[in-house]
Amino acid sequence: MFYSIITPVLFLMSCGVFLSLLLIFAEKKILNYGICNITINDGKKDIEVEGGGTLLSSLAENNIFIPSACGGRGSCAYCKVKIEHGGGIMSPIEKPSLDIKEIDLGIRLSCQVKVRESIKIQIPDTFFQVKRYKAVLSKKVMLTHDILRLEITLIEPQTISFKAGQYVQLESKDYMDVGSVMRAYSISSVPSDSTQIHLIIKKVPEGICTSWIFDSLKENEKISFLGPYGDFILANTNAPIIFIAGGSGMAPIWSILQDMLENGINRESFYFFGALTKEDLFYKNRLENLSQKLDRFYFIPALSNEHKNSDWSGETGLITDIVKKYIPNTSNYEAYLCGSPGMINACVLALTETGISKDNIYYDKFA
Amino acid sequence: MKISPKELELKTRLGPSKFSASGFMGKCSTPLEELIANDKKRINFLGISAENLAKELKLAYDKAQGASGAEIKIKVNFVAKFFESRGKIPSPFSGHGTFEKGETVLTNKKTKKHIIITKLGIDMIRLYSFFQGYGNRYRIDPAFVTEFISAKNL
Repeated sequence: MFYSIITPVLFLMSCGVFLSLLLIFAEKKILNYGICNITINDGKKDIEVEGGGTLLSSLAENNIFIPSACGGRGSCAYCKVKIEHGGGIMSPIEKPSLDIKEIDLGIRLSCQVKVRESIKIQIPDTFFQVKRYKAVLSKKVMLTHDILRLEITLIEPQTISFKAGQYVQLESKDYMDVGSVMRAYSISSVPSDSTQIHLIIKKVPEGICTSWIFDSLKENEKISFLGPYGDFILANTNAPIIFIAGGSGMAPIWSILQDMLENGINRESFYFFGALTKEDLFYKNRLENLSQKLDRFYFIPALSNEHKNSDWSGETGLITDIVKKYIPNTSNYEAYLCGSPGMINACVLALTETGISKDNIYYDKFA
Repeated sequence: MKISPKELELKTRLGPSKFSASGFMGKCSTPLEELIANDKKRINFLGISAENLAKELKLAYDKAQGASGAEIKIKVNFVAKFFESRGKIPSPFSGHGTFEKGETVLTNKKTKKHIIITKLGIDMIRLYSFFQGYGNRYRIDPAFVTEFISAKNL
């Protein structure tokens, strides 16, 4: 009786395993896609890859690093590229991560696109400059109770070329038994110092990468990162500037301001720094010193939740209200914002109400 | 008990991952189906739908987010405060995209109890009645939300 039941069950299971192995074998050996071409940005770069791999990994093998945080599982939705030709049909994993406009434009998740034929793609030109860096953590400095600065010295390559406002993807070590993860952090140091980068990082509750940084990463430890990425950079105009950022959102702004000083860019500029309490303000002295050197730069910190008995004599209230108070008409300004999507949305609304064109608002959403 | 590959994948996604250090179940040992069934039973008993509950949570989340980190009064005895975070987190239920990581702490000043509301947490309640594992940092206690909903407006 037992054998009459177990024999067909085992037979069916063996068939299943055999068919699965056959499919894997067929994908790898029989379905030989040969060498496929990937044409990038209308031929600015052409690469030949062995067909069958994902677009993300095929590009990485050729030192073109598309940002990704989930290791190619299709869950972080960072690795978007525009496919102009080829790429096959969209997988069900991709659709929820793309909006209708993106789908119409041919945007896909490169980790889900298989290279089975020649493909034409568009990526930001800045990705060509992205490299993998080996480095060492020289210094770890606490700035507030939950924000710190990492000072990272490059080992290989020994120098980095970036624009003020760009970011890197830092790779964590295996921590909390979930493997290494990649997370994006803006560079806060100045581009002229090409042998090191500084990052300003806020601790994320339950965050894997920031828990590793805050609780485990030690000075003199080797680390690696990819970069530089991003187009949050100062536009080449003479328009007066509004900077708005709080917390670790200061990182790209601080880099831009130092770069302005070094390059003699003396555009009228206001930096509105929103914090909850005095304890959350950092770099106050540095920014006040900067306003001595850049005579058309004004630093306006504002606290939204300061204790009643505080000796704070500066601005208080929501940063959007403070901006309106100082600049009632923003129509001829450019604005540079860095913060959470909610903060950005509130600022965009407040700024457009006072006249600035949406085209002149640049932002780096924490997303 | 048989478990389909899809269910197995979901269980893996609910555990610790590259996006959530302790996962969505935390140290909770109650099986997922039982956890959801228990919470559904509770909200039915309390006379509220998961959809309405999610709607109220979203209102509190959005109000706190609009206050840019300042503590604000939402209802009598209830205050909320938003904490911003960089990055996105994908839903463990595949096909629902990614969500911003910011969180709103909603506190009942009378009982001193609080819950942590996230955009992903709201979505999982709305679609799956999944309130997350017992003891998990992001667990939303249906009874707490019911108290919040029935509290007087300011």
